[in-house]
Amino acid sequence: MKTYNKIALSALGVIVFLLAWEAVARSGVVPARLLPSPSAVPAAFLSEFKSGTWQAMVLASLSHYLVGLSLGTFLGVSFGTAAALWGKWDAFQAWVVRMLRPIPAIAWIPFAIIWFGVSEGAASFLIALTVFWINYYASYAAVRGVDKDLIELGYAFGQGGLIPRLFKIILPGALPGILSGLRAGLGQGWMTVVAAELFGISGLGMRMMEASGLLATHIVVLYMVTIALLYGVSDFLFMQVQSRVLSWQR
Amino acid sequence: MAAVTLSKTAASSVIDLVDVSIGYGKDAPPVLVDVNLSVERGSFVAIVGPSGVGKSTLLRVVAGLHTARSGGVTIHQDQRPGHRPVGLVFQDSRLLPWRRVIRNVEFGLEGLPVSRDERRQRAEAALKLVRLDGYARRWPYELSGGQRQRIGIARAMAVDPDILLMDEPFGALDAITRHNLQDELRRIHQETGKTVLFVTHDLEEAVHLADRIIVLGGTPARVVRDVRNSAGRDGAVFRDQVEQLRSEIADNYSI
Repeated sequence: MKTYNKIALSALGVIVFLLAWEAVARSGVVPARLLPSPSAVPAAFLSEFKSGTWQAMVLASLSHYLVGLSLGTFLGVSFGTAAALWGKWDAFQAWVVRMLRPIPAIAWIPFAIIWFGVSEGAASFLIALTVFWINYYASYAAVRGVDKDLIELGYAFGQGGLIPRLFKIILPGALPGILSGLRAGLGQGWMTVVAAELFGISGLGMRMMEASGLLATHIVVLYMVTIALLYGVSDFLFMQVQSRVLSWQR
Repeated sequence: MAAVTLSKTAASSVIDLVDVSIGYGKDAPPVLVDVNLSVERGSFVAIVGPSGVGKSTLLRVVAGLHTARSGGVTIHQDQRPGHRPVGLVFQDSRLLPWRRVIRNVEFGLEGLPVSRDERRQRAEAALKLVRLDGYARRWPYELSGGQRQRIGIARAMAVDPDILLMDEPFGALDAITRHNLQDELRRIHQETGKTVLFVTHDLEEAVHLADRIIVLGGTPARVVRDVRNSAGRDGAVFRDQVEQLRSEIADNYSI
């Protein structure tokens, strides 16, 4: 399919979705309090924007997100790669990982508050935790999957030492898999932003909680749309970078 | 356990294998025993034998990728700086897909005391040698199987090795490409005078290319024949030589 047609179809999908939503909201089948119409969102945006709340919330969440994402990604990729490279380390940490892995980020909220207080740090910590596991497993699998023949090639041409092996063969070979992990973490990170801010840390999640407490559902929807857009933009930018970085792939 | 010894003393041979025995695993029976072989400088030696006989394993030992169980493996390394003792060409080309052609050819030069400019120059010269000098900026996936093998040869030649080791390098190619590359390899051998150790199970290929043919056979395998060869490609002499080797291998075939 041509790129032009693809974009047109995607746009059509969004428009049909919004029209259908508007139609259901206006038909009166569902009370307006329960389902705000999308046409109410621009007005909500203007009032939130004029008061400066929207900008402040976006900036606050963005900062939690970026700190948590970079920390979680860096540590996840590092630990995942290390576990895949060294069998002894892998065995040593295997059961610790198994025990910690199933605990969702929200279960850590009490500890996040005890350790960091109701602070930016607590939100970033929870986001980092979510992102960590995704990148840990993605990197582990990607590094394990690197073609052993290419590693042998390294030995044959004097690049068998740890540093050249890691940076010239293993990491480039694992890059496609590591990047899929990064991308999944990018999305999961935004989901965690909301959860992490629900308990009062300034940001999109907190504002949504406030608004829902006042039954201001159109404001809740505004911030849902905001998160969707922020995620969309970050995913789009990431894909642009990824296709550059992986231009060697067919 | 016997690793490869690098000797700096001048010798007429490039590699010397003395009573080499090779096996996998500690208690498994050996694959190859009593291998004694000297490869003279500038010669083109083919190793033939049925599949599974240990031809590639022998090559891997010379390349330092596998350690012999016993015996001595010596490579007489030349004194010239900025080169590697061996250059290895694989059957499956093994280009790094994330590197452009030129950077693949440069791969073995990295880590040698060679300046960036010299590295680039040597890689370009190697590309010219395999007649792919217009392909420097291509990605490996853009190349045909034959072109990928040529790049593999260029990568091995770029490190200016004392000996070029080739592990069934044309085994996966179609007949026409294989013929072309055989002729190219002969030309490269004549132009550069490089010593070549070439593993193949294709007797015609061995007789066509090599000036000496080592036949491996038996269980465990050993050198059963060591023939001087000058049969060339065509004619009765070529066919006789091939038939001779074929019966030689059949006599020692026991699996």
